[in-house]
Amino acid sequence: MTIRSDEAARMLADVDGVVAKVKQSRLYRSAALIIILWGVVNLARETLIAVAPAWFGPRWFLIDAIGVAGTLALLRWVVEPGARLPVRTLAAFCLFYAFGWVWSNLLGQFGPRESMGFWPTLFLFGYAVAGLWFGWAFTAIGLGLTALILIGYVWSGAAFPLWLAAVSGGGFILCGLWMRRA
Amino acid sequence: MDGPDEVIHQPIRLRVMAALTALDSKEEGLDFARLKGLTGATDGNLGAHLDHLARAGYVEVTKAFVARRPRTTVKASAAGRAAFARHVAFLKVIIAGT
Repeated sequence: MTIRSDEAARMLADVDGVVAKVKQSRLYRSAALIIILWGVVNLARETLIAVAPAWFGPRWFLIDAIGVAGTLALLRWVVEPGARLPVRTLAAFCLFYAFGWVWSNLLGQFGPRESMGFWPTLFLFGYAVAGLWFGWAFTAIGLGLTALILIGYVWSGAAFPLWLAAVSGGGFILCGLWMRRA
Repeated sequence: MDGPDEVIHQPIRLRVMAALTALDSKEEGLDFARLKGLTGATDGNLGAHLDHLARAGYVEVTKAFVARRPRTTVKASAAGRAAFARHVAFLKVIIAGT
């Protein structure tokens, strides 16, 4: 059997294409688990704030802490069993929360509505940027959900916490389920 | 220099092996539907190519029922991984020789 160099190059390009698709699919499936987890966390937080506004404030960080711990646990025991504690992921969370806290409390002095809109869009901005390296689905989720949150911020009135529960809770869960199939 | 692997050389089988060897050997493999999407083959066509690869000892095909639905999982064997690596090395040598 004789293979010309252009045929060999085409075959290797075919191989590279398939390998890239498999790797992206694995990444999407792993990320989907984390996105679904955060959908549940967001749904719980926003619903709690909607029915018991006293929960707005520093206490909602307790709910987020469950999400952070869950994310680290998923990465450590489900996505890559046997891996070391994902310290960089923990550091990324710390940086996002520190940046968000400085802007929402120190510099911006946001009110409750601004703060509720700001926090999810801060993390969704991270998704949108990450998508430039890891796949368009992240960017689509980041930009799509940010747009819905901004629409709610402007037009949902007093129902904004419920709007957030639907978008950053239900929306995340649906996006995660979609990503598992991508 | 080794020659081309006659089993892997066929385009659909090359894609199947590329997909399966992209996974870690400890992973469970890929299911039939996912392989179909990755290779662009039809059910019957993919099934025939998987039979060919299994007869050569390059893949292990596992059939099971998950939630009462049949599920076929395909995994590259150690021999299949080695053969694929040799075939890819052969293709690279051809390109480097030009």
